[in-house]
Amino acid sequence: MTLLQIKGLHASIGDREILKGIDLEINEGEVHAIMGPNGSGKSTLSAVLAGRDTFSVTSGEVIYRGMDLLKMTPEERSHEGIFLSFQYPIEIPGVSNVNFMRTAVNEHRAHKGLAPLNAAEFLKLMREKMEIVKMDPSFSSRGVNVGFSGGEKKRNEIFQMAMLEPKLSILDETDSGLDVDALRIVASGVNKLKRSDNATIVITHYQRLLDYIVPDIVHILYNGRIIKTAGKELALEVENRGYDWLIKGQDD
Amino acid sequence: MTENNYIYAPDTAVSDGFRCRVPMKGTRQVFVINGGVQGTGKRLSISVPDNGKLDETLQIISVRTPEQAGRIAFGNSIHFGKNSSGALILCSHTFSEDPFVTEETSEISLGEGASASIVLMQNEHNRAAHNTEFNISLGEGATLNMVFMILHGGSIGNNINIALNGRHAGCDISGLYLVDGSQKVDNRVMLLHNVPECKSTQLFKGIIDDSGKAVFKGLIKVLRDAQKTEAYQENHHLILTDEAKGLSEPQLEIYADDVRCSHGATNGRLDSDALFYMRSRGIPEKEAGLLQQLAFTSGVLEKIHAPELRERMAAMVEQRLRGEFTDCKGCSRNCC
Repeated sequence: MTLLQIKGLHASIGDREILKGIDLEINEGEVHAIMGPNGSGKSTLSAVLAGRDTFSVTSGEVIYRGMDLLKMTPEERSHEGIFLSFQYPIEIPGVSNVNFMRTAVNEHRAHKGLAPLNAAEFLKLMREKMEIVKMDPSFSSRGVNVGFSGGEKKRNEIFQMAMLEPKLSILDETDSGLDVDALRIVASGVNKLKRSDNATIVITHYQRLLDYIVPDIVHILYNGRIIKTAGKELALEVENRGYDWLIKGQDD
Repeated sequence: MTENNYIYAPDTAVSDGFRCRVPMKGTRQVFVINGGVQGTGKRLSISVPDNGKLDETLQIISVRTPEQAGRIAFGNSIHFGKNSSGALILCSHTFSEDPFVTEETSEISLGEGASASIVLMQNEHNRAAHNTEFNISLGEGATLNMVFMILHGGSIGNNINIALNGRHAGCDISGLYLVDGSQKVDNRVMLLHNVPECKSTQLFKGIIDDSGKAVFKGLIKVLRDAQKTEAYQENHHLILTDEAKGLSEPQLEIYADDVRCSHGATNGRLDSDALFYMRSRGIPEKEAGLLQQLAFTSGVLEKIHAPELRERMAAMVEQRLRGEFTDCKGCSRNCC
């Protein structure tokens, strides 16, 4: 079943156009990789899908499970199953991880008409999900991402993903700042969360992450457009040949 | 915070003797009605004898009632004798919607080696103006931990004069003020380091919403003889609207040459990156903003060392920031 349909999406920041007509379709059970050089619009695409209002969509549409995604607030998108793993997770001093996630999980439950989890139920769930990314339980009482290393922040992102059980996860440069061990833990966390009725968009510079999270389809984004779409072998080709052969003649 | 949701429903029946309905464990109450101690009508004067220790926290609840509306002025004094110790909670409330004006002078002195912990809660209605002058002095080796919780009030002013008069005296003064509607809060601290080897810290934080206005002016004055002084001051405002105003005037006057002093002041807004991050996890915008505001208040709340009192204050701060009535849990009296 089709989860997400992006048609002719254009988006700008200020008067600079960054996305110049994106078309993309994602079905349940699929893993899509979006690759591309710096500044091609990868992070903008993920931010637009998550509802960041610093970007304005100038034309095009995004249909997510039959809904007009662009009309929804970031929190509504989250409730409906969209999850963005941030390239640079935000530190929130004074708000503990446990309080942050309890509020988020109970908002999701309220949206589904479920009663909030009590403290014991919540802690049990939290411990289970922390195990998926081998996160130390001591992180739960610490401020959200405050003083976390790069790897800990990324694990925290995947932990949150595990807690919220999204339908469509967008992993924005989840591999950046990770050493090989952390990469393996994070990737195995993502793989454990994979189901036949959800989908993942993996945004990355490098092929490295795709050794662990194997995509069904690879897209190359360049200068605000998808310039090539193919199977997982495309990622390897990019690893070997770089982007130059793909982008030759693409510049306006 | 929005003023509209702040429903004022006072219970004015204090004529037959006012009592706090939900006292905390280990506290003893004294009630001051329109400036006079309930029962005697005299001004409040408390003195802890030398070497004495207050077994229970003394809670002084000062209320304004319609029996004496308008402007009143009164004074009180609290003295801790040599090597004595104790904890105080000072609450001030208004019990009807009359336009009260309260002018208060509070003399607080700590003798040599005395140690005191004082938490003030100022929670009055929108038509109340309350100005208090605190004249606080500390003798040799005395320590004072004082926290101002300014929850609500039309116009609240605190003139806080602190003199460190004996070596090794130390004070830790902090304040949280929540200002919305057209409320005004004005805190001024004058901290005098008169002698060597004393330490002072100040942390004042305010959240200003709607067209509220808050002023913090803090002067640390280190006299020439006061070598080895340590004095730190911080003031931070979280400003929620374009109409809200926060004014911060940190000042240092140092006449000694071997001191460690610092001050810092910021006026900031909610962090939009953090708001988006929380919203992207399904936390509605309003709740995300509230979580950030609560986080902002935590530094001052942590200065309240008694756990039960800290929890009660934290709950009231949350109620206040949610635009609800700030009452103690389980009480219907609506002290405000």
